[in-house]
Amino acid sequence: MKHRITRKKALNAMDYLIDVEASMVAERFQPGNFAVLITVPHGERIPMSIQKAEDGKITMFIKRLGKTSIELDGFEVGDSLEAVIGPLGNPPELKRYGNVVVASDLVCGHAENYALCKALQKIEGNHVISIQTFSTKDDVYPTEELSEDFCDEYYLTTLDGSRGIEGHYTDVLKDFLDEGKVDIVFAGGDIPALRDLATLTKPYGVPTIATVRQIMIDATGMCGSCRVFVDGEMKLTCIDGPMFDAHKLDFEDIINRLSMFKKKEAQAMECHNSKTGAK
Amino acid sequence: MAKMNKIRVPMREQTAEERVKNFDSVPLGYSEEEAMAEAKRCIQCKDPACETKCPVNMKIKTMINKIAEGNFKEAFLIAKEDNPIPAVSGRVCPQENQCEGVCTMGKKADAINIGKLGAFLGDWAMQNGVTEELHMEEKGKKVAVIGSGPAGISCAVDLRKLGYHVTLFEALHIAGGVLQYGIPAFRLPKDIVDYELSYLQKIGVDIRLNNIVGQNIMFDELRQEFDAVFIGTGAGAPRFLNIEGEGLMGVYSANEFLIRINLMKAYDFPEHDTPIVCGDRVGVIGAGNVAVDAARCAVRLGAKEVYILYRRTKEEAPARDEELQHALEEGVIFKELVNPVRVFGSKDGWVTGIELTRMELGEPDSSGRPRPVKIEGSEFTMELDTVVNALGTVPNRLFLDRTPELETNSWGGIKVDEKLMTNIEGVFAGGDATSGGATVIQALGKGRVAAAFIHDYLLVHSQEES
Repeated sequence: MKHRITRKKALNAMDYLIDVEASMVAERFQPGNFAVLITVPHGERIPMSIQKAEDGKITMFIKRLGKTSIELDGFEVGDSLEAVIGPLGNPPELKRYGNVVVASDLVCGHAENYALCKALQKIEGNHVISIQTFSTKDDVYPTEELSEDFCDEYYLTTLDGSRGIEGHYTDVLKDFLDEGKVDIVFAGGDIPALRDLATLTKPYGVPTIATVRQIMIDATGMCGSCRVFVDGEMKLTCIDGPMFDAHKLDFEDIINRLSMFKKKEAQAMECHNSKTGAK
Repeated sequence: MAKMNKIRVPMREQTAEERVKNFDSVPLGYSEEEAMAEAKRCIQCKDPACETKCPVNMKIKTMINKIAEGNFKEAFLIAKEDNPIPAVSGRVCPQENQCEGVCTMGKKADAINIGKLGAFLGDWAMQNGVTEELHMEEKGKKVAVIGSGPAGISCAVDLRKLGYHVTLFEALHIAGGVLQYGIPAFRLPKDIVDYELSYLQKIGVDIRLNNIVGQNIMFDELRQEFDAVFIGTGAGAPRFLNIEGEGLMGVYSANEFLIRINLMKAYDFPEHDTPIVCGDRVGVIGAGNVAVDAARCAVRLGAKEVYILYRRTKEEAPARDEELQHALEEGVIFKELVNPVRVFGSKDGWVTGIELTRMELGEPDSSGRPRPVKIEGSEFTMELDTVVNALGTVPNRLFLDRTPELETNSWGGIKVDEKLMTNIEGVFAGGDATSGGATVIQALGKGRVAAAFIHDYLLVHSQEES
């Protein structure tokens, strides 16, 4: 089955989105699900965040980070991917939570943010507050790809204060927590930031659900590469997650293991560059 | 009476020095002449125990007789009657405990090399483009087979031959299950697996890749769409020891280590995208076939010291003799009577070693093997860069969690009755998903038995309908 790219758009200098035909994934997608891509024959299986699913197509947010995502950025509309597999992972229950904060600060959090806000806002009794953080004004995604239209309150922050509120989503969230305004937090993106988030919300007793990205191969529960520790118990991000109770996660373990293939990733990039002539 | 030839026709192999540098097949296969010479050693027993001991009851005696006559086509067709993938089983079966273990010749001389003769036939047919001529009468009924490993393959082939429309659902992007992701190419070259699977497509089995039942296609939908379902989802989830340090970088489940290498071809990185990090000193915990496979892969990835760490002795090791022997020839060091206590690492999170305790053998346990007993105060450490857990596998939760209506036993295996039917009418199961980790040929056998029961079940239903 061919997975044709039908739209491609830059989100900022590093991030981009693609729409790709993947009817099986689109049909069953729920916010929080992810997909596994294989871009080319001999390619790796990499998990990717899904922003939305419509008309047999899914929209994925991708960062130019390693060989595969950079190579994929060279694909044009009309090109096809080797495989798009999913939806994978356990979506959270979509129900009335009350005051819900959805926060994100990286590509793999922003896609989920959009999807979650859109779904949760439709549910009566939810008051959805979205906080999206970018480094600078130049990194902010085009408005239509943000979750602004799908929440009751929207806050954009930049770390340098060049647009929106200066600071990180945790800074904005702290005020809401102090006001007693938050019933639950869903967050995704940078793992150290999620660790800080967990530390922040714990004293308030506010349930905090973190979307975790860990290295995966099959993403179907077979390899154990994406294991994380929740209250000391081993769980697999691919089939038990990717959303976990942030207060119970061993973040140091996650951060540590994410760097396991760093040298190999650099080697893959070098090889890719030498083949494509890129510097 | 001709003089009995007591010695096997030797199997040509890559030397240990050569083969540690590649992932190519270690045995080089019999030539036609060699196969005939080996087959001629068979004394054609009146009651061939080899056939009774074969989990798929191959007609080994006749097959060997035909090889001895040089009639390879007929021999191949005889093999194929009972075994859809002889080129595979010939390479990976534990023949020493099955056909060859009971071979009459083996009592006074070398047993007939039945496995290698089976592999020879499969290879010969592949090289010569020989296949079965099938005349299938379409039954107009549909069967879904979940999982394209050995159990799924044999069930699918048998049902297709009986004229059922068979759809094979595979979660991964390549079909073959454990034959692809589990068994390394130096034991089972992947072109052979691909060829055997192409046969399924040739006879009309509809293979659907990337279909994860319970995740992107629902079990209920299959039950509605198909007249019967066979579950051959295997036991593909890893087990860990749950000891300190298993989160460290450089600690793998054998599944991860082997999936990276076998399925994703990490040994050919960066030509293939998936990487693997394998240190100079590797410890593999366990002594089954998977452990031996992982250890031999580590040798090929360039590790300088590779240890198999086992709590019993070499005598009790569950791995096949041939594979263990090959591993030792390749420099793998077998450390007996040791049990891991914890894994430890550097400040930057990488494994630097393992603490082990020495064991001694006690009274036999429920498996009949002597129970390993810890020697108090015998803890010691070994420096390692990579630790691979090869502690066996359990059924994958992804499928089972999403099919709560399916009854399982305490360890997560799917419960079946004597006809391999689950608690759900029309849903059958077999292979490692019901038995726990076993062998390829046992799974093949169960797949075949299940196909026969599914056929019976659908016949009764057809009669009821008419």
